[in-house]
Amino acid sequence: MRPIRRVLIANRGEIAVRVIRTLRELDITSIAVFSEPDRVAYHVIMADEAYPIGPGPSRESYLNLERVLATAVRVGADAIHPGYGFFAENAAFAQACEDAGITFIGPRPATLAGLGDKLAARAAARAAGVPMVPGSVTPPATLDQARDVAKQVGYPLMLKAAAGGGGKGMRVVRDDAGLESAWSLTRGESLAAFGDDRVYIERFIERPRHVEAQILADASGRVACLGERECSVQRRHQKLLEETPSPAFDDATRARFAEAAVRVAKQVGYLNAGTVEFILDESGAFYFLEVNTRLQVEHPVTEMVTGLDLVAEQVRIAEGAPLSFGDTPPAPRGWAMEARIVAEDPLAGFMPSVGRIERVRFPQGPGVRNDAGFYRGYEVPIFYDSLLGKLVVHGPDREQARRRLARALREFVIEGVHTNLSFHRWLVAHPEFVAGNLSTRFIEEHFDPTLLGPDAAAAEVALLAAALHAREDRLRVALPGSGDGARSPWRWAERRRRAPQGKR
Amino acid sequence: MRFWVTLEGREAEVELHAEAGRLWLDVEGRRLEADFRRLPDGEVYSLLVNGRSHEVRVSPAGEHLEVTYGGVTFPVEARHPLEKALQAVQRARGKPAGETIVAPMPGLVVALRVRPGETVRPGQAVAVVEAMKMQNELVAREGGVVSDVLVEERATVAAGQPLLKIRPEQP
Repeated sequence: MRPIRRVLIANRGEIAVRVIRTLRELDITSIAVFSEPDRVAYHVIMADEAYPIGPGPSRESYLNLERVLATAVRVGADAIHPGYGFFAENAAFAQACEDAGITFIGPRPATLAGLGDKLAARAAARAAGVPMVPGSVTPPATLDQARDVAKQVGYPLMLKAAAGGGGKGMRVVRDDAGLESAWSLTRGESLAAFGDDRVYIERFIERPRHVEAQILADASGRVACLGERECSVQRRHQKLLEETPSPAFDDATRARFAEAAVRVAKQVGYLNAGTVEFILDESGAFYFLEVNTRLQVEHPVTEMVTGLDLVAEQVRIAEGAPLSFGDTPPAPRGWAMEARIVAEDPLAGFMPSVGRIERVRFPQGPGVRNDAGFYRGYEVPIFYDSLLGKLVVHGPDREQARRRLARALREFVIEGVHTNLSFHRWLVAHPEFVAGNLSTRFIEEHFDPTLLGPDAAAAEVALLAAALHAREDRLRVALPGSGDGARSPWRWAERRRRAPQGKR
Repeated sequence: MRFWVTLEGREAEVELHAEAGRLWLDVEGRRLEADFRRLPDGEVYSLLVNGRSHEVRVSPAGEHLEVTYGGVTFPVEARHPLEKALQAVQRARGKPAGETIVAPMPGLVVALRVRPGETVRPGQAVAVVEAMKMQNELVAREGGVVSDVLVEERATVAAGQPLLKIRPEQP
């Protein structure tokens, strides 16, 4: 066993802040790294130590392998926590850490490399006897071979890039006529995006649910499943709201699901925290999708119902210690939901919004947890993704958790940038959401941005406030000695009024 | 005090009285009444309307105001009657003076699709600005001839920064 005393967090934003919190509780020194625009980001302010790693663009800082690793070596870090994104699933980075004598808090490099290849991951799941979406075992080499597979699988089907991910390199094919062009397009895109033109075929599920299993595995080979998370509410493959347990599961399905996830993890000799993703078809049958070899954004919902600290478990595992709970994971208690708060405007096609957080008030009260990477006065930079933070709630059952989330969302104030708070308020009040009828197409089927606009009552309040503001503006001008009177819109209006009259 | 307020595409004339934290507003034959206080943290009002508590932020955004209420931000215009009259005169006289394409948000110019002298159709994409790993296509509203390109590709731009100018096509 090798104790970990100094951890460098190779990440930023809310996840870096979240990791720092656990390190502090464990009495481990937290070391932040930051790009130039992140000098006063929350993770830098929170950390025990912080070091610059380059300019704003990720490639030149958070994704600069040599720079991050050299910093870790120079400042005497004995471990690196990668968070999610950036280097979290990068086998070369994990290997470089190992070569430099630094513990990578995550799976082994070979596991990252193996599971990063979707076909290899599918092969492992198949070998473990886990249900798979019907499809090709090996990527078809020619269009004719693809046609043969299509005949067995049936339409509609999905063409997927072997090296793809995050919704990229996928195409739905509805009939035989569409296969030829989709085949060459998907291969071309895959080659351009991932440098790999292998494409495989899967049956297409029209209205899938997305449910995933949280796995922890220690160095002794012990593997635990800490329940499932339902992440079906997505927009363009970006998850927006997650919950545990899944409303789609009964106890028997849940047990089979957990057992399947553990089998996949054991098959590949998994180490540390990971997530086995499945999709559910309309009948509730589940099929293996892929393994995410990292701590997930939505891990807090699992923490809320199990009472575990997954980052602390990750550190223990990386030290070579056994899982804190031995062979029996704690039984989950109650229900948890997480709303991802992103700087995007739901009224304007979810356009990203950057700028200064002018005002913020976090929700408080029973069962509420905020994982946020921002504060009042913080400038949201242009270089990174739009996730500002996560609002997580816990309640005794789904309905009480849902009401708690609705209440907390109403309390939450973020001003200065557009956020999706109004979207979440709409979502958690929607009858289909209330009923637990979810699918990855929920948003396209139910969301209409005009529903978020002000109603008549809101318009009345806005009218009052706008008039009040205009009046105060005018009074400011009238005040004697007011220095900026010359810039007032009212003076300006007076001046402009005279000009056209003179010409008349 | 009299104002013209434009909200959600509707324009209304309002008459406003305020005294010692109370506000009366006459609009389209109705009277609205509220108790108001300005909160210490910025341009935020607490309004009590018939006992119902509302928290509203009003901030200037260019020539307009932005009202944030219930987590939704939307534009509002509040103008003095004289200013409104002037605006009408200007609109009546106004000839299309061309358009300036500005960055809708801070970001990186990833593509400029046109060059000076090029003719642009209304609705044609002229530039792409990337922020937070998402790309946003900017289109010309009216079209014309590109008179100036003010930035280069890969440039970092601020919100509202002019990127290129388009003048009306000569008849």
